[in-house]
Amino acid sequence: MKDTIITARAKRRELWVALGCFVAAFGVNLGAIIHYATPWYELFSQLGYVVCLALGFYVLTWIVRGIVRIFRRR
Amino acid sequence: MDRREFLKRIGTLSAAGLALSAAPWLEGCTPEGQATIRGGKVRFGIIGPGSRGQYHMRNLAAVPQAEIVALCDDYPPNLEAAGRLAPAAKRYDDYRQLLDDPQVDAVIIATPLHLHCRMTLDALAAGKHVLCEKAMAYTMEDCRTMYQAGRRSGRIFFVGQQRLFDPKYIKVMDSVRKGEFGPVVNVRNYWFRNNDWRRSVPSPDLERRINWRLYRAYSRGLMTELACHQLQNGTWALGMLPVQVMGAGGYVYWKDGREVFDSVSTIYTFPNGVNMTFESVISNKHFGMGEQILCKEATIDLAGGRYYSETPRPRSGIRQLVGEIEQGIFSNSVFAGTSWAAESGSSDPGVAVMPGAEGDGSLEMLEAFCHAILTGKQPPHVLEEAYYGAVFCLLGDEALLRNEILTLPDELRIDYL
Repeated sequence: MKDTIITARAKRRELWVALGCFVAAFGVNLGAIIHYATPWYELFSQLGYVVCLALGFYVLTWIVRGIVRIFRRR
Repeated sequence: MDRREFLKRIGTLSAAGLALSAAPWLEGCTPEGQATIRGGKVRFGIIGPGSRGQYHMRNLAAVPQAEIVALCDDYPPNLEAAGRLAPAAKRYDDYRQLLDDPQVDAVIIATPLHLHCRMTLDALAAGKHVLCEKAMAYTMEDCRTMYQAGRRSGRIFFVGQQRLFDPKYIKVMDSVRKGEFGPVVNVRNYWFRNNDWRRSVPSPDLERRINWRLYRAYSRGLMTELACHQLQNGTWALGMLPVQVMGAGGYVYWKDGREVFDSVSTIYTFPNGVNMTFESVISNKHFGMGEQILCKEATIDLAGGRYYSETPRPRSGIRQLVGEIEQGIFSNSVFAGTSWAAESGSSDPGVAVMPGAEGDGSLEMLEAFCHAILTGKQPPHVLEEAYYGAVFCLLGDEALLRNEILTLPDELRIDYL
């Protein structure tokens, strides 16, 4: 098995993508609070769901980026 | 809050007239009540120490003021088994000999229903305090005779309606009586089992003695053995008595020579129009045992110890959103439009009435019984609740047998409610 090198640039990019996913999930929570007129404290009390949603988004970006890479190689 | 904490709280709340307003008979269970009887002892004789009698014996072992000094049963295996729980107790095979024993202060009568009246009257006449198992008696007239004898005797007389002493029930009933859940609109009781309700019989000549619940000479079946626990809920919650009862019963599945119905459905109607139902079937157990008080603003599941708001707090916004998306993806498409849809039950998980509460009130009932004996004060309402609990079971059974709508005869009314 050979060593894998993750560049600082790649790390930075992944961190930005993860942060973007969290912000998107946070935005979904915010939108849901407004849409369903639920209490504002859900911005914090529902952070567990927000993190789960952010993870889901992050996995989705990996899938999308994987598909894009496959098409680019062709 | 567990049972002990609840009972401590009753002591402090009683000054404000809170929990004790729903259960004034519970005074003996409070720390103050217990303090008044410290050092006292009640010597018990157990008449009929079968399964229920032995259950009481095990609970008595946890009551510091109780001591079992005598046992009586004319069925030797029961006497033998009970003797192992109380090895020092004297043994009798005739209850009259036990009643003659001056060492016995109080008796617990846990015999078949048809014997309750005679044994209770004899015990009261012998100067004993009595805790008789429910239902109170085999006929309404016997109930009245027992009630009157109990009041006249000056002795303490309880009937085994242990729900009156169950902290969960007391807490909920206090809230119901105060209208905290809105007006009561319906009371539902049911008890479903899936077995033949028989006990194994070592020899055929013992069939009627051991399976006495199945024969009309000794029992009124599901109405006296099961309904009497539950019908009390309506009277307790509403603070009034039913004005009429109707119902139907039959032999639906167990057609094995039994003389009591294996399926009953009854409806009791209160003066304000509220209905209380009792249903029992012993050939299907899916719904088990349930006791529910339906109020305008909440449903109380007494047996499960939870209540459910009619307007539960909505789920968080994000969960509602996820739920809607999920429903949009996975729900079946409606091919005939949405002009009609059945009401679906609430999936609200509800709120526990008393998290961690244990027991069914039997232990508290024995504590209260000892307290009453040692202080010489019959607690209010205990006998009256038991009387009407039994009378309305028996009236329901009459309605089933006669297939008529029945009202309580005036001569069977007592000065209560």
